[in-house]
Amino acid sequence: MLSTENLSIGYHGQVIVKDVSFTVPHGKITALLGPNGCGKSTLLKALSRTIKPVSGHVYWQQKDVQNIAHKEYARLLAMLPQVQPIPEGLTTFDLIAYGRSPHNGFWGRLSQKDRAVIDQVMAASGVTELADKRVSELSGGQRQRVWLAMTLAQETPYILLDEPTTYMDLNHQVELLGNLRRLNHEGKTIVTVLHDINQAARYCDYLLVMHNGELVAQGTPAEVINQKLLKEVFAVNAQIFPDPVANTPMCVVDD
Amino acid sequence: MRATLGLPVLLLLVALLIVASFMLGAVPIPLAEILKIGQADFAHSFTLYQYRLPRAVLAVLVGGMMALAGALVQGVIRNPLASPDVLGISNGAGLLAVCFITLFPQSSAGAIPLVALLGSAMAALLLWLLVGRYPSETRLALTGVALAAFFAACIDFVMLLNPQEINTALLWLTGSLWGRNWVQVQLLLPWLLLVPVALLLVKPLNLLALDEQNARSMGVNVPLVRFAALALAVCLSGAGVAVCGPVGFLGLIAPHVTRRLLGSRHQLLLPGSFLVGAILLLFADLVGRVIDPPIEIPAGIVTAILGAPYFLWLLFRIK
Amino acid sequence: MQNTKSLSSYPALLAGLTLLLALLFWWSLFSWSAMNISARDALDAVFNHEAGNIAQTIVRELRLPRALVAIVVGCAMAAAGAVMQGLTLNPLASPSVLGINAGAALGMALVTTLGLWQGAFSTSVAAVIGAALAWLIVMSLGSWKAGGQSSRLVLAGIAVSALCMALTKALVILHENQAVAVLSWLAGGFVEARWPLFGKLWPVAVPALLFTLAFAPTLNLLSLGDENASHLGVVIWAVRLLGSALVLVLVGWTISLVGAIGFVGLIVPHVARKLTGYDYRRNMPVAMLMGACLVLLADIVSRAIAFPTEVPAGAILALFGTPVFIYLVRSRI
Ligand SMILES: Nc1ncnc2c1ncn2[C@@H]1O[C@H](COP(=O)(O)OP(=O)(O)O)[C@@H](O)[C@H]1O
Ligand SMILES: [Mg+2]
Repeated sequence: MLSTENLSIGYHGQVIVKDVSFTVPHGKITALLGPNGCGKSTLLKALSRTIKPVSGHVYWQQKDVQNIAHKEYARLLAMLPQVQPIPEGLTTFDLIAYGRSPHNGFWGRLSQKDRAVIDQVMAASGVTELADKRVSELSGGQRQRVWLAMTLAQETPYILLDEPTTYMDLNHQVELLGNLRRLNHEGKTIVTVLHDINQAARYCDYLLVMHNGELVAQGTPAEVINQKLLKEVFAVNAQIFPDPVANTPMCVVDD
Repeated sequence: MRATLGLPVLLLLVALLIVASFMLGAVPIPLAEILKIGQADFAHSFTLYQYRLPRAVLAVLVGGMMALAGALVQGVIRNPLASPDVLGISNGAGLLAVCFITLFPQSSAGAIPLVALLGSAMAALLLWLLVGRYPSETRLALTGVALAAFFAACIDFVMLLNPQEINTALLWLTGSLWGRNWVQVQLLLPWLLLVPVALLLVKPLNLLALDEQNARSMGVNVPLVRFAALALAVCLSGAGVAVCGPVGFLGLIAPHVTRRLLGSRHQLLLPGSFLVGAILLLFADLVGRVIDPPIEIPAGIVTAILGAPYFLWLLFRIK
Repeated sequence: MQNTKSLSSYPALLAGLTLLLALLFWWSLFSWSAMNISARDALDAVFNHEAGNIAQTIVRELRLPRALVAIVVGCAMAAAGAVMQGLTLNPLASPSVLGINAGAALGMALVTTLGLWQGAFSTSVAAVIGAALAWLIVMSLGSWKAGGQSSRLVLAGIAVSALCMALTKALVILHENQAVAVLSWLAGGFVEARWPLFGKLWPVAVPALLFTLAFAPTLNLLSLGDENASHLGVVIWAVRLLGSALVLVLVGWTISLVGAIGFVGLIVPHVARKLTGYDYRRNMPVAMLMGACLVLLADIVSRAIAFPTEVPAGAILALFGTPVFIYLVRSRI
C-alpha cells in the first residue's frame, strides 16, 4: 500500500509539487495525468525515492519509505524513468538481467528462476529477438521496450512508469497497455503517466490529475473526466462521449 | 582601467618590475645603488650588465612574445581555452629542441630557435590534422593537452635516456631565465620583427572576432588572416620556447587578463597582451628568485602555479 | 545467448593471460642483468634454491620482489582506472588523466620535503590524502554524469594535474637544490623494489584489489545511470564514496612506494572491455591481469632499452600511453 501525506517536493529549494496527499489504490492501474511540467515526473521520483521530499511523507504500509532499506524497497517497487541513458556497449540481455539484481546475490549470478523471469519479460515486451543486440543500436521505441522489460524483470508488486508509451508506434502502445492489464490481473499495482486521456480512461481504473504541482482531481475515469476539468487543466474545450467500444468516457476536442 | 590610460600604466608596471629585478637576487642591490647607474662609483656594473639586465630584457621579450602568440591564437580560433602552451605547440618546440640538444651537443646555440620553430610548426600541423576544421572548444583543448602530454612524455624519455644532459636540458625545459645572457637576447632579436607584423592584423582580427560571415563581406580574406595569425603565433612561441623553454599557461592567461583590463579591440589587446605577458614573466621570475635564494624556482613553474587555477576557473565559466 | 556464446572463450582468455603473465614473470627474473643469469638459474632460485649461488641470490633478493611489485602495481593501476571509468561513466577517466597521480605525488612531496610529519606510513598516507584532495577538486568542477560534460571533467583533471605537478617540482627544487631530482621523483619505476617494499605494498594493495573485484557488480548497475541504479537498490552516494576510496587507496599507496605509473589505468580497461564486453564482473579480472602483464613488460623494457642503465618504467608507459590517450580523445569524446 503506497500513500503520500502532505507531500511537497522540489529542486534546489524551489518547491514544484505542493502538499499532495493520496493513496495509490492497491491492485489497480492508476494513470497520472497533467500538462507538461506540472510535476508528474517529480512526483514519481519522490515515490520511487530518487529524490527526498521537501516536507511530508511517502508511506509504504504506514512506514515512511525513507526508513526502508534500499534493497528491500527495490523488491517492492520498480520504476521506469521518463528519460533513459544509453548505456555503452551493453546488450539487451545484460541490461534486462541487471533488473534481477535486487533478488540475486551480490555477484549477480543468474539462477534458473532468474533466467526464466528474464525470458518471460522479454517475450512479454516483444524484445526476445533483440537479446544479443546492443542497446545503443536500437531504435527509440525498441529501447523503451527493453527498459520496460528491465523494470518488469524486477518482479515487484508495485510498478511506476513515466510516459512508457513515448517513442512507441500505436501498435506497441496498445500492446503495452494490454500488457499492463495482464500484469494487473497477476496482482500488480501500476501507476503510469500517460498523455492520451482517452487511453487513460480506457485502460486505467483510477486517475490522478495534476495541475501546477497540485493534485486537482482523483477518482475513476467516469468521476474525473468532465468538460470543466479539461478546460481548467489542459486548456482545451472538449466534448465527452462514451467510448463506442469500451463505454469509458472519451473526449473529443472542439476547435 | 580606462583604455587610454591602460597601455601607459602597463608600461610603468613593466619598468617598475625591471627595476625590482635589478635589485633582487642572490646579492640584493639597494635602490640607492641602482640609481647610481652610469656614474663612476657604480659598484655593481658587472652583475647588472652581465646578469640582471639581459635577464630582465629576456623576460620582457619572451613573456611578451608568448602572450602575443596566445592573443593571436585566441583571436582566430575564438576559443577561450586555446593558446600555444595549452595546445601542445610549446611542448612540440621543446621536444625537437631537446632532441637536438642531446643528439648534437656540440652544435651552435644559434640553431636552436630554428629547430624549436620547426617543432612548434610540426605540433601545430599535427593538431590541425587531428581535430579537423571546426572542432568544439573543449575538443580542441582536449586534443591539444593530449598532444602536449605526449610531447612531454617524449621529452622525459629522451632526457632519461641521456642522463648526462639532463641538468642543462631540464633547466631549459621548465621555462627558466636562469643563466641567460646577451647571447640569448641576440638570438631573439630577429624574431622581434614579427611583433609589428602582428599589429598589421589588428583590423581583420577585430572583424573576425565579430563573425566570420561579416568579416568576409567586409572584404577580409579570412583564410589568409587565419593562416597568417596562426603562423605568427607558432613563430613567436617557438622563438620564445627556444630561449626559455615552455612557460606554462603564460600564453593562455595573459590575453585573458588583458581583455579584462583593456577590452577586446585588437588595437589595444595585442600590444596590451605583450606588456601583460612581460609583466607576468618578470613577476614569475622575481618570485622564483626571492623565495629561497640562492635556489631558484624556474619561472615556468611559477606561471603554472598561477595559470592552472586560472584555467580551471575559465573551464568552470564556459559551462 | 550472449552469456553462453562466449562462455568457452572467457576461461581460455583468462588462462592465456595467466600463462603470459607467468612467462613474463620468468623472463623478467633473468633478462638484462649486469651479471649473467640463465633462465635455469631463475627457475632454480624460485623452486630449488641453492644457498651460495650468486646468480640465484640476485634473483631471489632483487628480481623476485621487483617482479612481484610490478605485478601488484599493474593490477592496482588497471583496477583503479576501471573503477574510475565506471564511477564517472567517462572513457578517459584514469588516475593519470584526472590528476590523482599528481595529487598523490604532491602529498608525498609535501611531507618529505617539508618534513611535516614522520612515521612508518606517513608518505603513503600523505599520498592518499593528496590524491583525495585532487579528486575532490576535479569532481567538484566536473560531474559524475556521462555525455557532454565528459571533456570538461578531463580538462579539469589535466589542469589540476598541471598545478600539482608544478607545486611538486617547486618543492623538490627547493629541497634538493637540483633539477635532476624532479625527474626521478616524477617518473615511477621499480629500481628500488626489494622485499621490504613488497612487504609494505601487498598488505594494502591485495585486499583493496579483492574489494575492487567485489565492487564489479555495483559498477555494472551504475552504468544504467543514477536513477535506474537507485531503483535497483544501489545507494549512489555510498557507492561513489566507496569506489573513490578504493581508487585513492590503490593509487596513493602504490605511488608512494614506486612513483607515478601512468596510463595503465587509461588503456587497459578499454582493451579488456574490447575483449570481454562491458560486464565488469568479466572485464575486471582480465583488466587486472593485463595491467600486470603490461607493467611487468614495461619493467623489462626499462632495463633493456638503455642497457646497462635503466629508464624508469613510468616514463616508458607514458611514452606509449599518451598516443592512446590522443586516440581515445579523438574517438570517444
Ligand atoms: N532536475 C531538476 N532540477 C530543477 N528543476 C527541475 C528538475 N526536473 C524538473 N524540474 C522542474 O520541475 C517542473 C516539473 O517537472 P516534471 O516533474 O518533469 O514535469 P512533468 O513530468 O509533469 O512534465 C518543471 O518546471 C521542471 O522545470
Ligand atoms: Mg515528465
